[in-house]
Amino acid sequence: MASRTIQAPPTQSFESSDIPDQRHDSTNRTASDFLTKEDRLEMFRQLYLARYFDVRLIKEKKRGRLRGTLYSSHNQEAIIVGALFGLSPDDWISPIHRDMAAFYLKDARQGWRNSSRMGMTIQQVCAQVWGKVDSPGRARDNWSHIGSREKHIIHSTSMLAGTIPVAAGVVLADRLNGKNTVCLTFNGEGSTSQGIFHESINFAAIHKLPVITIIENNQWAYGTPVSLECPVPNVADRAKGYGIPGLVADGQDVFDVYDKVMAAVNHAREGRGPSIVECKTFRAYGHGDHDDDRANKYRPHDEVEKGRQRDPIAIMKQKLLELGDIDQKQASSYPAEGKSASDATNQDFPPEIVQYLDEGIQFALESQLPDAAEGGMWVFADSESK
Amino acid sequence: MAVAQAPIQEKKQYLNAIRDALDEELALNPNLICMGEDIGMLGGAFGVTEGLQAKYGADRVMDMPISEGAIVGTAVGAALNGKTVMVEMQFIDFISCGFDQIVNTLATYHYRTAGEVSMPIVIRGPAGAYGGGALYHSQMNEAWFCNAPGLKVVVPSTPSDAKGLLTSALRDPNPVLFYEIKELYRKREIEEFIPEGHIVPLGKGAIRLQGKDVTLVSYGQNVYHCLQAATTLAEQGISAEVIDIRTLIPLDEELIFESLKKTSRIVVVNEAPMTCGFAGEILARVSEKAFDLLDAPPARVTRLDTPVPWVKPLELFVLPSVEKVVQAALQVVNY
Repeated sequence: MASRTIQAPPTQSFESSDIPDQRHDSTNRTASDFLTKEDRLEMFRQLYLARYFDVRLIKEKKRGRLRGTLYSSHNQEAIIVGALFGLSPDDWISPIHRDMAAFYLKDARQGWRNSSRMGMTIQQVCAQVWGKVDSPGRARDNWSHIGSREKHIIHSTSMLAGTIPVAAGVVLADRLNGKNTVCLTFNGEGSTSQGIFHESINFAAIHKLPVITIIENNQWAYGTPVSLECPVPNVADRAKGYGIPGLVADGQDVFDVYDKVMAAVNHAREGRGPSIVECKTFRAYGHGDHDDDRANKYRPHDEVEKGRQRDPIAIMKQKLLELGDIDQKQASSYPAEGKSASDATNQDFPPEIVQYLDEGIQFALESQLPDAAEGGMWVFADSESK
Repeated sequence: MAVAQAPIQEKKQYLNAIRDALDEELALNPNLICMGEDIGMLGGAFGVTEGLQAKYGADRVMDMPISEGAIVGTAVGAALNGKTVMVEMQFIDFISCGFDQIVNTLATYHYRTAGEVSMPIVIRGPAGAYGGGALYHSQMNEAWFCNAPGLKVVVPSTPSDAKGLLTSALRDPNPVLFYEIKELYRKREIEEFIPEGHIVPLGKGAIRLQGKDVTLVSYGQNVYHCLQAATTLAEQGISAEVIDIRTLIPLDEELIFESLKKTSRIVVVNEAPMTCGFAGEILARVSEKAFDLLDAPPARVTRLDTPVPWVKPLELFVLPSVEKVVQAALQVVNY
């Protein structure tokens, strides 16, 4: 069996003139150099929230309180936090199954409890996870298969890469209406083998549409290693075929993800078209929780050990220490890093995080199941053809 | 001084009627955009969109790469963001390349968002056999999409229906698959005057010929096989009623049941293959809901369960014909 380990991102293989300018000014500083201390601490809180959401849901599932499959984002949270942080409120996103955090972190800088921000509330997301009527999709499809036209979140499906063309259409319509938005689409590396992946990026590149395809390369497409999915060293190398930039980010480092995604976002906003941003990471558990036991067998133990060594929370803590944003005491206060869901407890997370998710879960528990008859509704948009 | 003259109205061919509908809706609805292969500069493989890009611009009539999946998916995104989209399939056979986007992304959108998002998208394209188009330029694959809840399916057989139904489809909040019969595109015999502002609602069939002994139900070009069969049957003293259902989803069942109250006998004709074809669906509904009206077992005339072969004797062998319809009708009448 192929054994791949996570390494620091390889050297960019693109010609420098093709790469979006990652510098923010003549001093060679990058986007993350311009983050304020408050920004960085907010990202840190978001990273904890994404991890806690995952840990808590796994515990809730084990208690038998959840229906359906969990697709854990454990060890991959830096990608969502880093990618979303620099977006403008009107920008669009298209998350997939391992991106639950994207729904409630979109535009979270406007205040987590601010329901008028361009993202979902934690209550809505929890109602979806619990399959309740207050879910944005009234619990008609499971897990991450929600979205919101109003909040500029494209509704996800199970068809891998299947929402990339939808993203292209969304920003095409915005362009026709004179709006300069971008759309981030999130995909696993396995989805890059789909025909629609090629078709859509090809089309977006022809028309220089502001679609940024983020690849969360967690090394495993369900039970198949990336070596059997992709013939080039970096999935981002596929970008060469479309004449667009392909950037590689360290998916464990929230600031590196932020830098690369912002370079692609700025490139797109300047009218220079799409990019692929590959974020190298590692899937902590099975494909879904139903796969955890089998994943322990089909993935070599040493590969999993290595893949999970670089916890994004630990890496961020180290950087914040170096920057002086936190002191050693603060760094050791909430030691969530390196802990599996079964080992982590509420004490490993800041109380404000626990309380925030408690509010969401409480809402979900109190929300009702939809009326059974709703199963037959809304096939068509007009009543005469029900 | 020039005296304003009333415009002399022309008889319209099926193809021109379709272009008129697109032209008028593009003028009327600034949110309508069109996407397809070769539809802009070339004006489409058959010329349906000729002149529209020059008139409305390349932003609204877009030449797309040969990527049916991306075309449909992009249309979905544009519709999600407020546009109405007409998608042209160069041949309806190629729609299978966009199948996943149609059945999984497009058809389900309104349902899975509990009504938050409707999808005003029309996917239209040339369909049908009898022209020697062979396996990949002859298909009638409408049944695939009738089996995917959330799609409306329309098959016009006359120029005025083509115009009136396409206008309705372009104003419908739901995705509509619109099957154009390419053998009818330039058929002189069916040209007709179309009144200004002509609209045909989706979901309403039409009686093409009144009769009292047997009901022949069809759509698309098989309607003409039925009308010819009715002439032959009339020579034998049998009065056939011919119904053109025009819209498959939603289906005008009542029109068929009303006819059966007169005739008590039914033959359904379609050029798609038999198994799980729409003729079978119509007969199933008649059996379930109008069994008491029947005096004879219902019958269907369809393509054999084969692809459509190329050369003429092979092609005609597998397809419905006037003779096959007459035979089926006689069998039902003489039961």
